[in-house]
Amino acid sequence: MNRTFVEMAGKRLSLSNLEKDFYPSDGFTKAHVLEYYRRIAPFILPHLKDRALTLKRYPEGVGKGFFFEKRCPSHRPAWVKTAEIPQNDGERMTVCLVNDLETLIWAENLASVELHVPLARANSPETPDSMVFDLDPGDQAGILECARVAMIIRDLLSRMGLASYAKTSGKKGLHVYVPLNRKETTFEDTKTFSKAVAGIMQKHYPDLVTARMAKKERNAKVFINWSQNDASKTMICVYSLRAREKAIVSFPLEWMELEHPAGLGDPERLQVTHSEALIRADKKGDLFREVLVKEQKLPHL
Amino acid sequence: MAGQGIWSGTISFSLVAIPVRLVKAIEPGRVSFHMLHSKDYARLSRKMFCPGEETMVPTDEIIRGYEIAPDKYILMTDEELESVSPERSRTIEIVEFIDMEEVDPVYYDHPYYLVPSKGGEKAYRLLVEVMRRTNRAGLAKFVLAEREYLVAVTPRDGALALTTLHYSEEIVPDEDLPPKKGKIAAEEQSRIKKSIEQMIEDFDPGKYANERRKKLMDLLATKAKEKALVEAPVVEEEEGEGPPDLVAALEESMRKVKSR
Repeated sequence: MNRTFVEMAGKRLSLSNLEKDFYPSDGFTKAHVLEYYRRIAPFILPHLKDRALTLKRYPEGVGKGFFFEKRCPSHRPAWVKTAEIPQNDGERMTVCLVNDLETLIWAENLASVELHVPLARANSPETPDSMVFDLDPGDQAGILECARVAMIIRDLLSRMGLASYAKTSGKKGLHVYVPLNRKETTFEDTKTFSKAVAGIMQKHYPDLVTARMAKKERNAKVFINWSQNDASKTMICVYSLRAREKAIVSFPLEWMELEHPAGLGDPERLQVTHSEALIRADKKGDLFREVLVKEQKLPHL
Repeated sequence: MAGQGIWSGTISFSLVAIPVRLVKAIEPGRVSFHMLHSKDYARLSRKMFCPGEETMVPTDEIIRGYEIAPDKYILMTDEELESVSPERSRTIEIVEFIDMEEVDPVYYDHPYYLVPSKGGEKAYRLLVEVMRRTNRAGLAKFVLAEREYLVAVTPRDGALALTTLHYSEEIVPDEDLPPKKGKIAAEEQSRIKKSIEQMIEDFDPGKYANERRKKLMDLLATKAKEKALVEAPVVEEEEGEGPPDLVAALEESMRKVKSR
């Protein structure tokens, strides 16, 4: 195994197999993955901070099989911050907290191409700090249909005094986040609210939207997955790479970009690649910043 | 090494109070499996079944009963149970110092470490050092997750170890366990003594590994590589619109959105 030693902030890291092709069709190696995360770190770290990381590891690169790791590997270096998360069976599980660049690079060296985190922080696992609508298109629908649904949800919520923010999933869908950031919020609140929104969307846009999970009901519709609003669920972290053919990123968009997507011609233009992500983040800053700080209360609960 | 800790507070005796965090000393290497339905790989869930009505019982209809005689119960409410639970506490109060040698290992329950929190490092080191020199263990009562534990605090490698102890009423009496006395030939005794002496080693737990766990993890890694994965079906949650107020407000907003 080829090893490279680096020292960051006084912490020694051993990086392995940097030349391995991680996205073969994109010529993107493991070294490229690490470099992407090093450069996006100022933007992604606030969104990973204090959240129980689920590692989704692709040791042989994308498309070659993966495994999820929720437990923080016991071979972790001593400086990796961890938290104890209660599980359903009453046992506690040690999870990794990615609070600094060194830990991020360590996690990426484990080939954790995708970074998934819960909607709550590890020290308050029952308090979601945002509500999410995970828009997942059926086989005959795509990101443009998701954009339509996202904008109706945005307008609906805005009538109720709630601001929302959108990001690409980095796969086919979109994620709409509603920041809450109040310690009184529970997952029961966010689940009840998002489920009611999904229900009303399905009722008023039956040809565009389904609130039901069954895949066969999706077809040309967009499934509003409200059940992600759960303590046991995780979402792909904003700015994380996705393990698909190309190195595409889950990236925040401005509503304006979603309003005129037809002008792009190719819906794939809404997807943000690793290199575009770095340029846009540098230029626009963190478009998801408000998700972490804006305090909002869900009305009528 | 030290994580965020599963509890934080102070350890105190007489006039000393040191801020500390409690962290696990062991991480069990248990490999756990989920129960799946062999037909569709759905993850099975536990439901409470009432044999009287032959029906599933919703959570809000489940109460607690203490069996006092067959089919005779004393009911216990959450409030009653709470009234006897210890108050949450932020201190580990050492009430006496004991000689750890006197504690039968059968009393040992679960090991933890206490690590100093910010500002407590100096006092912590002092306490460790004094306890090491006097070779004493602090005995304390301590509330964790609504249970009151008897704990022994001992110095170990420059840190404080905390071991939860069983209460004496939990220990199974052992006076009936040794067999009745009988005569043992002296030569037999010395033969066995000899073979024990031949097998004496220093205790090195690193020599022994959980072989089954290792084999199991290897097997899982191999199967994961071969992509021998099955996928659980998507399961529908129950239908229902939501609270009437919320639904009415959403309908009103939807009307405005559509009429734009």
